[in-house]
Amino acid sequence: MVMGAEAKRRPAPGAVAPGARPWHGYGLGLRTEHFEAVLEQRPAVDWFEIISENFMVAGGKPRHYLESIRNLYPLAMHGVSLSIGSTDPLDRDYLRSLKKLASEVDPIWISDHLCWTGFGGINSHDLLPLPYTGQAILHVASRIGEVQEFLGREILIENVSSYVNFADAEMDEATFLAEIARRSGCRILLDVNNVYVSSRNHGFDADAYIASLDAEKIWQIHLAGHSDYGDYVIDTHDHPIRDEVWDLYARMLQRLGAVTTMIERDDNIPPLQELLAELEHARQVGDDALARRCTAVA
Amino acid sequence: MIRLESLQGRFIDHLRRKADFPSAWCAQGTVDSETGLAIYANAYTARLREALEADHPCLARYLGDELWSRFCAGYIEQHPSRVRSLRGFGAQVPHWLARNPPFSQHLEVAALAAFERELMDVFDAADAPRMDWSAMQEFEHPDWPHLRFGFHPSTRLLTTETNAVEIWRALKDESDPPPGGASAAPARLLWRDAERISRFRPVQAEELLALRACLLERADFATLCERLAALRAPDQVPALAVELLRQWFDDGIIQAIRTP
Repeated sequence: MVMGAEAKRRPAPGAVAPGARPWHGYGLGLRTEHFEAVLEQRPAVDWFEIISENFMVAGGKPRHYLESIRNLYPLAMHGVSLSIGSTDPLDRDYLRSLKKLASEVDPIWISDHLCWTGFGGINSHDLLPLPYTGQAILHVASRIGEVQEFLGREILIENVSSYVNFADAEMDEATFLAEIARRSGCRILLDVNNVYVSSRNHGFDADAYIASLDAEKIWQIHLAGHSDYGDYVIDTHDHPIRDEVWDLYARMLQRLGAVTTMIERDDNIPPLQELLAELEHARQVGDDALARRCTAVA
Repeated sequence: MIRLESLQGRFIDHLRRKADFPSAWCAQGTVDSETGLAIYANAYTARLREALEADHPCLARYLGDELWSRFCAGYIEQHPSRVRSLRGFGAQVPHWLARNPPFSQHLEVAALAAFERELMDVFDAADAPRMDWSAMQEFEHPDWPHLRFGFHPSTRLLTTETNAVEIWRALKDESDPPPGGASAAPARLLWRDAERISRFRPVQAEELLALRACLLERADFATLCERLAALRAPDQVPALAVELLRQWFDDGIIQAIRTP
C-alpha cells in the first residue's frame, strides 16, 4: 500500500491549529514481526508507536530497525516501566535511559500508564490498579512532575484496564485521571478499549467517563482488542478491535474532534496487511464521526 | 484510609504467593473482587512464564511440559523479577538449574540455558565497526609483539563441558536431541556478524588458550605466542598465532588494533 488520495485528503499529520491538540493522524504499534515489511512496503501509516523498553538495548537488530524506521516515520515512545503510582522511589536509571532514547528518536511524545508495576523492588511487569484517592493523586501528580522536569517535556499518561477497584475510593476513575492531569500538567493518552473493559468490569458508563475528561487534555487514543468472557472482560490485545469499541471511539470523536489515534496489537500478531486494513477502518470511522460532528455543529 | 504502601505490599504478596488480599479493601463491581484478584495473579505467573519460554525455547522443549512447569514454578517463586525489562528476568536461570534437582543432576540442562542466554546477549550487544586483515599490514613486523586487539562487543567465549550446544542444534532443527554427554569441543565462540546474524563455532584447545589471552586478558601478541609455546614447538608458534588471529579478523570479531 502506498500513500494515496485517501490519505492525502485528510489533514496533514503534524498540523497543529493554534490552541488545539496536535494532530498526527493514524498510527500503528511497531512490532518486531513487522520490521522488514515496514521497510520494504513503506505502508501508509502516519506514525508508529514504539515500546520504549524494547529499544533500551546496546545494539543489534532492534536498534538497526529503529534507526531505519525513524528515518521514514514519526515515532511516539510508549513505556511500560515508569511505575508512576508505585511507592518505590522513581527509577532514575530508567529515566536516564528514557531520556537518552528520546534524544535519539526525537519522538512526537512520550507516554506511560496511570498505574504501578512494582513494590519493594519487585516488578510484576503488569499495569496494576491504583486506589482513586486524594492521597494517590498527590503522590502520582508529584511524581509526574518530577518525571516531566527530568525529561524536559510533558508526558502523556494512559488509563489502564482494571479488574479490581478499592473500597476506599473517594472518586471515580475519570475524576482521578482528570485531576492528576490537571495538577501535573500531563496530557492524556485515552485507551478507548481500556475504558470499555473497565466499564464492563466495574459497571460504569463509558461515554460519561469520556465526557467528563477535559477534551483538550486528550492528545492520543489507543484502540485494541479484548477478550469477552461474559461476566468479565480482559484487555488482551490479541484480537481485532471489537464493534462495541469502534462505536465508543466514533461517539468519542464526534464529541471531541480529531484525536491522534493508533492501534495497539501485542499478541497473536497478524500480518502487517491485516493491521493496515484495520487502521484504514479506523480512518473511515474517524472520518464519518468527524463529518457527523461538522453536521451537528453546522 | 489504607496507606498506599500497605496496599501495594499486600497486592504484590497476593500476586507472588497467592497470599490473602483483604476483601474489605476491595470494592465490589460487576466482577467480584475474588475473580478480579485472580485475574491479576494468573497474569503475573503467565507473563513471567511466557518470558522464560521466549528466552529458552530449546530448554523448554528439552525438559518437556512437566519438568518445564516445575522449573518455571520454582524459578518464579525463588527469583521474583527485580529488573525493569523482562529481557533480564531469566538472568539467573543457568545458576538456578545448576543448583536445583532434578535439573542439577543433568549438567547439560544448565549449560543449555547458559548457551541460550549467551545468544540473547550476542543478539543485542553494542554495535561497533570491524577491521579486516589488511589493517594488520599497516604495522611493521617489529611492532607486532606489542599489538593488542579489541574485540567486537558481541563476542562471547563460552566453555562447554557438556554437549548442550549439540542438543540445542538438534532441538532448533526439530530433531531428536542426543542424550546428555560430553562436548565435542571445550568451548564455543559466539558473535554477531556484520549482517546482524548471531554466529557460533566450536573452539579447540589451542584457540581457547589464545582467546583467553587476547579476549579475556587483553594480552598482546607476544604474550599470545608465549602461551601457545606451551602447546606447540617454538618454530610453529608464530604461524599458529597468525593463523588464529587471521581467523578472528575473517570472523569479523576484531574491532580495533591497539598499540602501546
